[in-house]
Amino acid sequence: MSGIVCAIRGGPESRPTIQKAIELAKESGLPLYFLYIVNLDFLSYTSSSRIQVIAQEMRQMGEFILLMAQEEAREQGVEARGVVRQGKLREALIEFAREIEADYLVLGCPKAVKRGKANAFTPEMLADFARGFEEASGARVIFSEEPCGDVQ
Amino acid sequence: MSSKAEHTRTLIALALMLAAAAMIWSALTAASPAASAPLGPSIVGLVEDSHGVPIAGGEVVLYADGIPTAEATTQADGRFLLRVPDAALHATTLTVAIGRPHFEGAEIALTAAQQARLTQGETVALEPVPLTRRIDAAFWVAALTFAAVLIAIATERLHNTLAALAGMSIVLLVSYLGPLLHESLFIFHFDDALAYIDWGVIFLVMGMMIVIAVVEQTGLFQWLAFQAYRLSGGRLWLLLPILMLVTGVASAFLDNVTTMLLMTPITVEIAIAVGVNPLAFLMPEVMASNVIGVSTLIGTPTNILIGSYSGITFSDFLAYQTPGVLLAFIGLIVYSELTYRKELAAGHRASPALLKQLGKHAQITQPAHLKKAGIIGGGMLLLFIFGEHIHLVPAITALVGATALLLWIRPDMEAMMEAVDWTTLVFFMGLFVLVGAIQEVGVISVIADFIGKLVGENLLLAMGVLTWMSAVLSMIVANIPFTAAMLPVVGYLTLTVPGAESKVLFYCLSVGAAMGGNGTLIGASANLVTAGIAERAGYPISYAYFFKKGFPAVLITVGLSLLWLVIRFMVM
Repeated sequence: MSGIVCAIRGGPESRPTIQKAIELAKESGLPLYFLYIVNLDFLSYTSSSRIQVIAQEMRQMGEFILLMAQEEAREQGVEARGVVRQGKLREALIEFAREIEADYLVLGCPKAVKRGKANAFTPEMLADFARGFEEASGARVIFSEEPCGDVQ
Repeated sequence: MSSKAEHTRTLIALALMLAAAAMIWSALTAASPAASAPLGPSIVGLVEDSHGVPIAGGEVVLYADGIPTAEATTQADGRFLLRVPDAALHATTLTVAIGRPHFEGAEIALTAAQQARLTQGETVALEPVPLTRRIDAAFWVAALTFAAVLIAIATERLHNTLAALAGMSIVLLVSYLGPLLHESLFIFHFDDALAYIDWGVIFLVMGMMIVIAVVEQTGLFQWLAFQAYRLSGGRLWLLLPILMLVTGVASAFLDNVTTMLLMTPITVEIAIAVGVNPLAFLMPEVMASNVIGVSTLIGTPTNILIGSYSGITFSDFLAYQTPGVLLAFIGLIVYSELTYRKELAAGHRASPALLKQLGKHAQITQPAHLKKAGIIGGGMLLLFIFGEHIHLVPAITALVGATALLLWIRPDMEAMMEAVDWTTLVFFMGLFVLVGAIQEVGVISVIADFIGKLVGENLLLAMGVLTWMSAVLSMIVANIPFTAAMLPVVGYLTLTVPGAESKVLFYCLSVGAAMGGNGTLIGASANLVTAGIAERAGYPISYAYFFKKGFPAVLITVGLSLLWLVIRFMVM
């Protein structure tokens, strides 16, 4: 297997990431997977006894968000699959990428870099961040936006 | 046996159980005949603090010519009875000494006339004895521990439950080890600490958790949200108040956190489907849940605390709070429509494909369980409202209802017990002990004195100060510990401010503590879980954003609710 994995959360911040993944899929002809990861860490604010019920609701919300991304891809002539996983973002993303032997991981540009907070996330740190993902997943990391794009 | 016959039998069994519980309770609470045996030579009296509040647990010792000859302990109503032994009747001087930790002691020498009456076998009634508070080392230990717990919760340095447990451990440890260093470090005995735990609250919350655990798995919330969209016919200005109403009414009977945990994902889906920023629906929804919950005894944890402490019943909350809550809700709708008018105007009708997908998610998944929960819930509602006539406390209704539901649907008990939020129950227990500690050492009295001096005998001022102070502080500190600490303060003000005997100040505390939570992201747990889910859908809610939208809502809703309380208790 091979393909492009694009992790999305939904919302306006995900749009450039979705678009970048669609363009890459069109250029390469590789299968495109949109991935939504259910993370329930926020439940630490409240009872953890509702995890199963809430996880189910979050999965359904994730499916809906993926449906919108798949629709966008379809309009541009790309058939994409939607996948929902549960866990920590980094671990779940790497696990799925290894599972399908992904060629590319399309990620959104970290907010700190987009907002020009160079002291919070330097180009070197960003490169290390990408390298860490690449080594763990075996896929090449592509950031969706400038200035993160400069790193590659 | 047919399923219908089984249901009928179960219903009859449930009805019998409820009736039996009510009868047993009535029998237990029926007044017992007063003892009429003669007392013999004895001394009776009343011990109270400087506010006239009875002091329980005071040690009363009778000295005959300086030798202790009899002793007694003051009861919950501050009264004591000393039986005078025959040997003491012939003493030259009789002195009653009263002592209580955290108070200055008092001594009353009996007059010759009083001694003569004792000799004739009569009972002598002393004048009420006021004890003066003593600010000792234990005062500061308890006060600082309570403040540290509030800070740890507000800054999320510790989980609520861990913070309360740590606080409870500190005050107990100091109570037992402290006196080895200095006697002024004593706070209270373990038995006294346990007496501060309000088991009525614990069992009510536990019973409702079980009911909620059943309801939340039925898909009811998702179905209601989807029906709200269908009812609105795609008109988003109409969809907004319908969603707010659904969320608010659900919050009035179930807890706000569960309501928002279940309403937020489906709301996000609806918002995305109609091309609207989900925050335009989520913010008004969570604010509505914090506002409408005020109208019932079980709508907010703070109301449960207030009801249990003050004796305000379910129907009292409905009668006295609902008009104000409706007024506040209307104000909140107008405010939300104006605040989010641009977002709503930018929306569109959902496409048939997305509607189909939404409908697929928004289905009742366990109709049989929902039906049974509805029947039991209806019965519980009736008992909450009418049970007060037979002294049926809400905790029993919740427990009996939850047990009946479990008996009827026979769920996996392991899973059901896991669904009970034990951490919250332990949090409540720790909190009660901690609040008991600051009450014991006099911190509450100092606060009550301060507010008492501030408002004097002016009821309107007391209502205003209490409501707005509660609202502002609930934005910053967790409203449950805040409310628990304020209850004795409000109890004192209820005794001292003319007109407050109607318990209006408790309603003010209820409004401020719950609606004030809309002012900041950390003001209510429901706010945090809503923000958590919204963030995972790509729509983060920052602290600044929440304050910008929430603070004006607090001014509107608290202001309107207070206006109603003023009209209801001072004009009507």
